Amino acid sequence: MYKITGKEDLNDQDYYIEVEAPHVVRHWRPGQFVIIMVSDRGERIPMSVATVEDGRVGMFIKKLGKTSTQLYREYNVGDSIYAVAGPLGNPVPLANYGTVVLASDAVCAHAEQLGLAVELSKLGNKVISIQTFKSENEVYPDKYLAKKLVDEHYITTLDGSAGFKGHFIDLLRELLARRDVKAVYAGGALPSLKKLAEATVGKGVRVYTLVRQIMVDGTGMCGSCRVRYNGGIAYACRDGPWFDAHLVDWDDVLRRDARFKRVEKLALEKYLAR
Amino acid sequence: MSRVVKKRFPPKVRPPDARVRDFNEVVEGYDYETAVKEAGRCLKCPLWFAPCSKSCPLHVKIPSFIENIVKGDMEKAVRAVYEDNLFPSITGRVCPQEWFCEGSCVVGRIGEPVSIGLLERFIGDYARETGLEEKILEEMRVKGAPRGRVAVVGSGPAGLTAAGWLRLKGYEVDVYEALHKPGGVLAYGIPEFRLPRRVLENEVKKLEKLGVVFKLNHIVGKTVLLSELTRDYDAVFIGSGAGAPKMLEIPGIDLNNVYTANEFLTRVNLMRANLFPEWDTPITVGRTTVIIGGGNTGIDAARVALRMGSRPVIVYRRGREDMLKTARRDEVLHAEEEGVEFKYYLQPVEFIGDENGFVKAVKFEVMEPTGEVDGRGKKKIRGTGRFVEIPADTVVIAIGLEPNKLLMAETGLKFREDGTIVVDEHLMTSIPGVFAGGDAIRGESTVVEAMADGKRAAEEIDKYVSAKRKS
Ligand SMILES: Cc1cc2nc3c(=O)[nH]c(=O)nc-3n(C[C@H](O)[C@H](O)[C@H](O)COP(=O)(O)OP(=O)(O)OC[C@H]3O[C@@H](n4cnc5c(N)ncnc54)[C@H](O)[C@@H]3O)c2cc1C
Ligand SMILES: Cc1cc2nc3c(=O)[nH]c(=O)nc-3n(C[C@H](O)[C@H](O)[C@H](O)COP(=O)(O)OP(=O)(O)OC[C@H]3O[C@@H](n4cnc5c(N)ncnc54)[C@H](O)[C@@H]3O)c2cc1C
Ligand code: SF4
Ligand code: SF4
Ligand code: FES
Repeated sequence: MYKITGKEDLNDQDYYIEVEAPHVVRHWRPGQFVIIMVSDRGERIPMSVATVEDGRVGMFIKKLGKTSTQLYREYNVGDSIYAVAGPLGNPVPLANYGTVVLASDAVCAHAEQLGLAVELSKLGNKVISIQTFKSENEVYPDKYLAKKLVDEHYITTLDGSAGFKGHFIDLLRELLARRDVKAVYAGGALPSLKKLAEATVGKGVRVYTLVRQIMVDGTGMCGSCRVRYNGGIAYACRDGPWFDAHLVDWDDVLRRDARFKRVEKLALEKYLAR
Repeated sequence: MSRVVKKRFPPKVRPPDARVRDFNEVVEGYDYETAVKEAGRCLKCPLWFAPCSKSCPLHVKIPSFIENIVKGDMEKAVRAVYEDNLFPSITGRVCPQEWFCEGSCVVGRIGEPVSIGLLERFIGDYARETGLEEKILEEMRVKGAPRGRVAVVGSGPAGLTAAGWLRLKGYEVDVYEALHKPGGVLAYGIPEFRLPRRVLENEVKKLEKLGVVFKLNHIVGKTVLLSELTRDYDAVFIGSGAGAPKMLEIPGIDLNNVYTANEFLTRVNLMRANLFPEWDTPITVGRTTVIIGGGNTGIDAARVALRMGSRPVIVYRRGREDMLKTARRDEVLHAEEEGVEFKYYLQPVEFIGDENGFVKAVKFEVMEPTGEVDGRGKKKIRGTGRFVEIPADTVVIAIGLEPNKLLMAETGLKFREDGTIVVDEHLMTSIPGVFAGGDAIRGESTVVEAMADGKRAAEEIDKYVSAKRKS
């Protein structure tokens, strides 16, 4: 059992939750994720790591389906969850590129930005962060943004109510045209990652993306998370979860992500009706 | 030899139409009276000769324990089994006895061999139900100051067995397991209707009572490094299994509802997707499930699919005789009784999908035997250039497993081409003090062979640590 030591709303849908997991923290590097189970009947769900501190792991979680909603509603500081395993996957490949951009439009990637910002800065990069939200009231509290960790920070909102109007891809296009950006680290909604890959292919910029696939064990044992990559099959958990966006078959990723949509919806409805 | 009863006394088995509706155990085993009667069929071969015992990888003293069943001295029978096998309730249920003990029983030459597996299971269950096992194990344990500390990687049959014997020898043992439940394939692969969870859970609890510590959610190579284990313990045993599925790299492999057997079985056996949404993990199973591969894994997947309301079709690229060399005979017979359909001499060449990316059929090439046999005694086959299509809305790929490469990240450990770990005649790997056994060194094998490795490794580790202490 792993004790919850912190919990806070990030906006209407997303929340921060922190658990005691000293075994995970010791070897964790940015880009690696954890798998948690809320209860012994729970699903094993992968989560990016936002913060690590004194043996505690902080995550940003979106109230999406049954498990993420249940964790928010039924578990509070002092309670314990059933399992935390990790660190899983591989650290993101990092180097001194010169200028790099971090881009995110969803919960998991906002989380990843924090660790990436620190490490990329340490390596001597000029780090530009773009964080996209739907509107002003969805922007996370300052301390959960990458703001203080990077050289330049931009908020974009789809409705223009805060920061730059549009998606990170729109701002990124401008930056790519004006600045000498050598690498992009992006994560979030899978369709926007596909768009990003298309927009940057052949432009001489490295693009690493967080490829979310449905997982079970997270150790390479089941093949649930397989991704068509560079002409072969890769496992997001064992070989990723960060991949070169230009080598990922995004249609395949999108199709496999929708595998359980129908039954997941049933589970959430049933839970909410309780 | 006229005294010999040629036919076996059958165990209680649930009728097919009842058992396919739930995940409860299919074979209910012997009651006391039937066990005694079946035990009476054994000719009590002297131990130095007993071929059954010689062909059991654990060398269980079969005639001794069976003799005590005949006498009605169950405690002695339990003690006899425990000398060599800590988990009779598991092996009695899942060993392919026809390849091992029962395959060489002398009664088998004139009639049906003695049902050694069922008798062993009876003894294991009896010990558990009467609390004898705990008492006997506690007596067996070497008392006094700990002889050393050993880390075990993986909690499958190899790891559990190594942990048990090391603890009995007086070592402090920590078992590192990547998943949230111990058991390895016993927990996520072999379905409940062959090995009920309570049986497995009891074996784990038994070890915990002896003082074995389980560190769940710990992935060696990620959470802790092998180099840390060698630093912090006197020796390490690796029983990490062969858990990575082989993929069929043919067109359509990415289609939805194409599962590997490991994903399919893990979702159900470990995560209980059959009880979704009371349990949270989903699975979708259509009307027809085509299972590719005829080993234990394929048969288990088919029988799980059946119990999830689907119509399973197992497709194997060779014939039935060859399938019986890779799958436990009883499971094949039970699957046939339950109505699982089998198709032979077909090799998959493509998965065909619908417009939404879900599989709708599998295309196969018709194969034929060449007349030659391969190194493992199986018929060699070749394509005929003729093709057939079988409609399927779920596909399970069960063409085999190979060792998981997670430990590979570590330097120093030597592997073979196929991913298995290289060991010497003492089961020691290329790193001094690090031993390995089970599927991790053999590739896919059996529960009892993994246990035999675990037990032998415990002895080798004991020798190694004792020698190191003295020097
Ligand atoms: C490497 C990685 C990092 C992730 N990081 C985060 C994060 O930081 N914050 C966050 O909120 N979410 C993250 N996710 C996604 C998260 O795992 C899912 O949102 C979660 O499983 C949803 O569970 P649910 O029961 O609430 O929803 P459900 O209703 O069960 O599922 C809704 C959707 O979530 C996804 N999903 C469901 N089950 C799984 C699963 N077992 N594995 C992966 N995806 C699944 C699918 O897209 C599915 O359609 C990450 C996923 C991966 C692979
Ligand atoms: C579906 C199926 C049915 C089978 N049926 C039978 C049968 O009826 N009879 C029979 O005799 N055999 C059967 N087998 C084969 C048998 O299960 C295996 O040979 C046996 O389980 C091997 O035992 P093991 O201890 O070596 O490995 P496993 O049982 O594979 O256990 C390995 C354990 O190590 C853990 N692990 C792996 N890597 C790490 C790591 N880096 N850190 C921490 N933990 C790790 C895994 O999570 C797992 O729990 C079957 C196999 C399958 C897949
Ligand atoms: S352990 Fe397996 S092979 Fe050995 S006697 Fe028991 S059932 Fe037979
Ligand atoms: S070989 Fe058969 S008859 Fe002989 S001791 Fe073993 S079980 Fe009994
Ligand atoms: S989640 Fe099972 S192989 Fe990646």
